[in-house]
Amino acid sequence: MSGVVLEARELRVRPFGARSERRGGTESGFVLEIEALDLHAGEVLAVLGPNGAGKSTLLRALGGLEMPERGQIVAHTSGPVAMVFQRPLLLSGSVAWNVALPLWGAGMPRAERRGRAQRALAHFGLEALAERRGITLSGGEMRRVALAQAFVREPAVLLLDEPFDDLDARAQEMLSLDLRSAIGATGVAVALVTHDLRQAMLLADRIAVLLGGRLAQAGMRADVLRRPASAEVARLVGMANLLPGSVVGRDESGYAVVEIAGECRLRAASGLAVGTSVLAGIRPEHVKIDVGRGETSVLGKGLVARTLHDGVLVTAWIAWAGHELRTVAIAGRGLGHALADGDEVPFAVRPEDVHLIRR
Amino acid sequence: MPSLRCSSFAPLLVAALLFVPGEPRAAESAKQVILATTTSVRDAGLLDVLLPPFRERTGIDVKVIAVGSGAALQMARDGNADLVLAHAPEGEEKLLADGFALDRRALAENFFVIAGPPDDPAKVREAKSAAEGMGRIAATKAPLASRGDDSGTHQRERALFAQAGVDPNATWPGLLRTGAGMGPTLQVAGEKRAYVLSDGATLRAFRERTGLVPLTGRDPALRNVYSVLRVDPAKFAPGQIHGEAASKLADHLLSAETRVLIAAFGAEGDEGPLFTPLAGSGAP
Amino acid sequence: MSEPSFATLSEIALRTLVVSGSALVLAVALGLPLGLLLGGRRFRGRGLAVSIVNAAMGLPPVVVGLVVALLLWRSGPLGSLGLMYTPTAMVIAQVAIALPLVVGISHAAVGALGPEWRLQVRALGVRGARALWLLLRETKLGLLAAVIAALGGILSEVGAVMMVGGNLEGETRVLTTGILMYTQMGRFSEALALSALLLGITFLLAGTLTALQQAGRR
Repeated sequence: MSGVVLEARELRVRPFGARSERRGGTESGFVLEIEALDLHAGEVLAVLGPNGAGKSTLLRALGGLEMPERGQIVAHTSGPVAMVFQRPLLLSGSVAWNVALPLWGAGMPRAERRGRAQRALAHFGLEALAERRGITLSGGEMRRVALAQAFVREPAVLLLDEPFDDLDARAQEMLSLDLRSAIGATGVAVALVTHDLRQAMLLADRIAVLLGGRLAQAGMRADVLRRPASAEVARLVGMANLLPGSVVGRDESGYAVVEIAGECRLRAASGLAVGTSVLAGIRPEHVKIDVGRGETSVLGKGLVARTLHDGVLVTAWIAWAGHELRTVAIAGRGLGHALADGDEVPFAVRPEDVHLIRR
Repeated sequence: MPSLRCSSFAPLLVAALLFVPGEPRAAESAKQVILATTTSVRDAGLLDVLLPPFRERTGIDVKVIAVGSGAALQMARDGNADLVLAHAPEGEEKLLADGFALDRRALAENFFVIAGPPDDPAKVREAKSAAEGMGRIAATKAPLASRGDDSGTHQRERALFAQAGVDPNATWPGLLRTGAGMGPTLQVAGEKRAYVLSDGATLRAFRERTGLVPLTGRDPALRNVYSVLRVDPAKFAPGQIHGEAASKLADHLLSAETRVLIAAFGAEGDEGPLFTPLAGSGAP
Repeated sequence: MSEPSFATLSEIALRTLVVSGSALVLAVALGLPLGLLLGGRRFRGRGLAVSIVNAAMGLPPVVVGLVVALLLWRSGPLGSLGLMYTPTAMVIAQVAIALPLVVGISHAAVGALGPEWRLQVRALGVRGARALWLLLRETKLGLLAAVIAALGGILSEVGAVMMVGGNLEGETRVLTTGILMYTQMGRFSEALALSALLLGITFLLAGTLTALQQAGRR
């Protein structure tokens, strides 16, 4: 566990004016309230939430650009806090000049500036573009420059607002790789704000879910993904299957037995008491339709309602117990046959992969 | 963005502006006279001859503001001028009667002239009097360029119409109101081949350019007297009117030396002088 | 009216340069900071201020001249200053005409940077005088446009300057009022000579400023 670099305590922030997030809008009555939030050195915290949840406000508050009404942000480091905005600002001048700009702002002499700027450019593969004018760059290149600009200050904290916005999938991958290595090399604490789960997953070590200005859940990535605290969080973190039911008993292994409808039952690794009304949450990748390997017992059979094939993954919706289970599998692997609508397929879910949320 | 401390020096700059060096201050009122006069006097060039000796001798700065007689008299009423040189007898009398002027003294005279195109379609030449000539222009609805600016010339125009039994406010398609000085009005008359009432001096100056010819002689009704009026300082706030300097200027204009200059003005060639001095010859 | 000599014509031209130059310097010195402030900061009533500036940009110069005259006449509130019919009065009128142009255009130049510009620059760790320098660098094109517009307005102004200056020979006659006067007197050769001088000055000054502006487009 690495050291806490920045922490927010009992924070309440009212954003200035009616500043709106990119696609949504914050009402003037919007308030952000955070009990506690920590940033750890060398780790990436992804702040996930729908538009209008207050993610940008939180980032600005962490960056000292919004004054909190109450509470405080405590920095356990003297290093600079660098922030990269949703729309990177590039000034007239060359890429190298732009990257060196924060150092110039700090009064660093030219020779030293040049060296540091070179290193930052190298981190993000921008050496070839060093003398280009800012306005001639593509979206992805501009973002790299903005990141280099942030890293050149050797920050202790890095705040990123939708860093992968407007980038195609390949650009997103390349950028995350470079960012990941830069983070590892410098040990900077990173908070990354996004509305897109996939973007969050590319880099996150920890995840904080923001809903309506409040922290719905925060924790290590695996915990949040596998054990979301509520239905809203579950939907946000990609736990697409939420089946209403109730705990009707325990089996001989100690697993809770959840009745969904009639004879359709699931087993879950949960300690909830018999009689509790629950939502049984299962991630699509945990619904195995390539049964036959003998891993687990078959849970049930469902009818394929529809499928989606994107060239890499096959997403299928399987009707079962009056609901549609969403499942995803790698195309060609584990599926000895192509799925067609109306096929009856057996599927299985491990009890460890069934997460119960109180209803 | 830094808090722009320079925004506080803006008012300082404005204040500094008011103290640009070299401008006369209130304390130096004895050195400045605002003379409101008519454009015909300015355009004739008479003041260019009369004023320099005064400036040299006294060092007083005379600001000649040439607007129409009506405007000059209004400046006097508003206390925006120290001395008035006009040629609008009615208006001048009224200024005196209303107490805004200390006195009214005749400076010089010449004659108005009805000028027009050489072919004279309204037959103004054959009229027995100036008033009748204007009457003919109105009757035939001939083109007429009028200053329409309440100047001395304009007032005389209206008086002549009244004398001829024509409504001074009458208008017809050929009546062109320029609202401008004598020079521009003459130019308009020349372009449009219209009639125009003008003072003799300006007409002479513009005759070649416009092709207009004089069509009347020395009808008493056309007598044009220029008078000097001193504005009464007592009517206004102390110091607003530079009475002393104005009196000096008035005395200079009405002096014997100036009479000589006036008499000689424009007298080269065979045309005769443009003005006849009147100072010292009694009330106009 | 005496025949104007070359000395007279050049005296008129020189006065034009001094009066217009002073007015331009003042309008820019006052207007640029105001425009930067207006465009760069959010404050209550900013919308109103911008509307006023925009309306003032379209204000007819003769109206400005009339207002200044009303102030400076002996009968006006500032009459005791004795500024009427002096070059100072002309500078005041020209500044009043040019100031809204400078403020309006420079404010637009700053506004074009976008609402987050300030925040982002601060987030990059650039503050104070350096941030101001950066702002000027980024808005250089727009700011120079403001200056050029002000110059154009000042050099071409005749009505207001005539009203408050009086076109007094040897004192307040400038190229524009001189051109008007000579034209009205029918003395077109003098009018054309002055016009040529005025055009020459205008092209020279505007050309220099444009070269400066284009140099910034590297």
